[in-house]
Amino acid sequence: MAEIELKSISKSFGSTEVIKSLDLSISNGEFITIVGPSGCGKSTLLRIIAGLENQSTGDVIIDGNVVNNTRASERDLAMVFQSYALYPHLTVQQNLMVPLKLRRLSILERFPIIGWFMPNRRSKLDEVVSKVQAASETLQITHLLDRKPGQLSGGQQQRVAVGRAMVREPVAFLMDEPLSNLDAGLRVHMRAEISELHRDLKTTFIYVTHDQAEALTMSDRMAVMMDGEILQLDTPHEIYNNPSTIRVAEFVGSPKINILKGEYDEKGNLNCFGTKITDSIKLAQKGNVSVGIRPEHMELVSSNDKKTFKGDIVYRENLGSDIFLHLAVNEGEQKIIVRSEPSKVINAAVGDQVMIGWDEQKVMVFDVDGKNVTMQ
Amino acid sequence: MLQSRSHIWFVSPAILLMVVILILPVFVAATFSFTDYNLGSQDFRWIGWKNYESLGKFSSYKKMFTASLTYVVIVVPVSVLLGLGSAMLISSLRFGGEIYKTVFFLPVMATLLAMAYAWEFTLDPVIGVVNKFLDDGCSVGWFYKFFTGSWLGINPTESWYGELCNDRMPNWLGHKNYALGSISFIGIWQAFGFNMVLYLAGLTSVPRDLYAAAEMDGANSTWEKFKLVTWPMLGPTHVFVVTITSIRSFQVFDTVEALTRGGPSKTTYMMVYAMFEKGVKQNLVGMGSALTIVFLGFVLILTLTQVYFINRKVHYS
Repeated sequence: MAEIELKSISKSFGSTEVIKSLDLSISNGEFITIVGPSGCGKSTLLRIIAGLENQSTGDVIIDGNVVNNTRASERDLAMVFQSYALYPHLTVQQNLMVPLKLRRLSILERFPIIGWFMPNRRSKLDEVVSKVQAASETLQITHLLDRKPGQLSGGQQQRVAVGRAMVREPVAFLMDEPLSNLDAGLRVHMRAEISELHRDLKTTFIYVTHDQAEALTMSDRMAVMMDGEILQLDTPHEIYNNPSTIRVAEFVGSPKINILKGEYDEKGNLNCFGTKITDSIKLAQKGNVSVGIRPEHMELVSSNDKKTFKGDIVYRENLGSDIFLHLAVNEGEQKIIVRSEPSKVINAAVGDQVMIGWDEQKVMVFDVDGKNVTMQ
Repeated sequence: MLQSRSHIWFVSPAILLMVVILILPVFVAATFSFTDYNLGSQDFRWIGWKNYESLGKFSSYKKMFTASLTYVVIVVPVSVLLGLGSAMLISSLRFGGEIYKTVFFLPVMATLLAMAYAWEFTLDPVIGVVNKFLDDGCSVGWFYKFFTGSWLGINPTESWYGELCNDRMPNWLGHKNYALGSISFIGIWQAFGFNMVLYLAGLTSVPRDLYAAAEMDGANSTWEKFKLVTWPMLGPTHVFVVTITSIRSFQVFDTVEALTRGGPSKTTYMMVYAMFEKGVKQNLVGMGSALTIVFLGFVLILTLTQVYFINRKVHYS
């Protein structure tokens, strides 16, 4: 269990600045997700917390201690890698034993041959074995203990990697895209398992991913990171419903939020291609803005409703539970995606001209700098 | 149903060539090994296993096995470990690695026969630079102290170097105590650069994540990481390097022919040199063939061991 604090961390590789003066404070037992597109510096940040990489400036503080000069092996953190990084020549049991043996047995006790004659080795090893047994029971991998990583499926390897992190009861877990190499079904399943593990262990989890779905489903708080900066740090609910900037809004949510070109006229009305969007949002200045409406907040309506766009269906994506309609509006210049229940759009076919309405309460407006001016 | 026979025509040239230039000669050698055939003579007699029996009977052949095996036992471990060590040092360099690679690889590229003559001059008991250096060292205080071991409390005149200083410097290639060692030294000098290149290739394939994982698991010394990651991950490379070096060491010939001709008192009488001496120089084709077959047996055992036993242990999937 640990509180982890990052104070104005920055990192440059040569002249490229990967992380720009970043602050983050993670409380005890929290599940925090750092999410961002690839190359945003999130893995580097995790490696800095782990101690595998040195920050250029700033402090990493674990439980009140500055650990800038503490080696990764002595920070008492555990890490799960995207590639799992299991030792391929060792069996699952031996893999799980490595972190315990390296920490509990002295150098002499670990030494080949000489170690056999050390007095405490036997009892320490028994303890290690029972710990490994307990961890493998939690993760339901007892039947795999004698196999080598090469003989395991991706999901099983993933479990072993989590097990290896778990056995020595670290103060925090660092996970670097641990589910990226799994197939879609297993990924959803492991999401639930990792959340459950977090509930059981009540340890701090720092989870790095590029998949916003993982971030939204698993975390207590999520940090959206882009170009080496944390753009927003909040609960998944807040980030989804109240993104601070247009970049966050575009990154979180699938399918992507619809961004329309809009403008305020002299009377303070918000218009998109000549259609009034809403009465409820007033802005003092007139000028150009971007209007964001999530696909699930739009729908096909009958033509006599007041506020509508006219659009052509260009593509219909059937997901079973939902249907995504891709529409071209404003004479094909603007693309809009509408997410709908199948029963509501059963007759909508590609090529049809339809009317699109929206939920006025859910409209977000971003100013020219991308800042959300409707943020509550 | 008509079946095309064109596949036979496609493969037959390759098969024919393989049989004629690879397999047939082995059978010819095997056949000759049971005869007393001399090159140029019209007829020969079948003498059964006599050639093979004499391999066990005569002391010169016993010395041959001793020399060959000793050479292999010295050259293989030393050149493999040197290769691994230098590869690891070079791969840890930030710059300058290319220079080291080139320098260490030079002996591999050079013609061994030409290099052997260079070594002959270097190790010459009278005009050689090695003995000149050691001779001069006798009168340099700290050098003398260091190599006689007098700094450890050993009586300098009783030490190896001390005795040489009082007598004369060794005949590296002409004395039976030194010849095999000198030949082995040249063998190592020649072989380790090649092993280094193989290990460098092996090291690049070790996943970086494993080192990070080892560090997170608590391996904080280089030795722990080497033990946990580097050494086992190089498994396939070890097998390949050891096999190749062993086969090449069994095949040592150039240096022996150029420097010692199997002497002194057959201490450097290696197998391939014996083959050459019997089969070519003395025209005893039957005996030479028997040696060839035994040699082939050694190499085959090495290769099969690699394929059947060790390969299974080092490929982890």
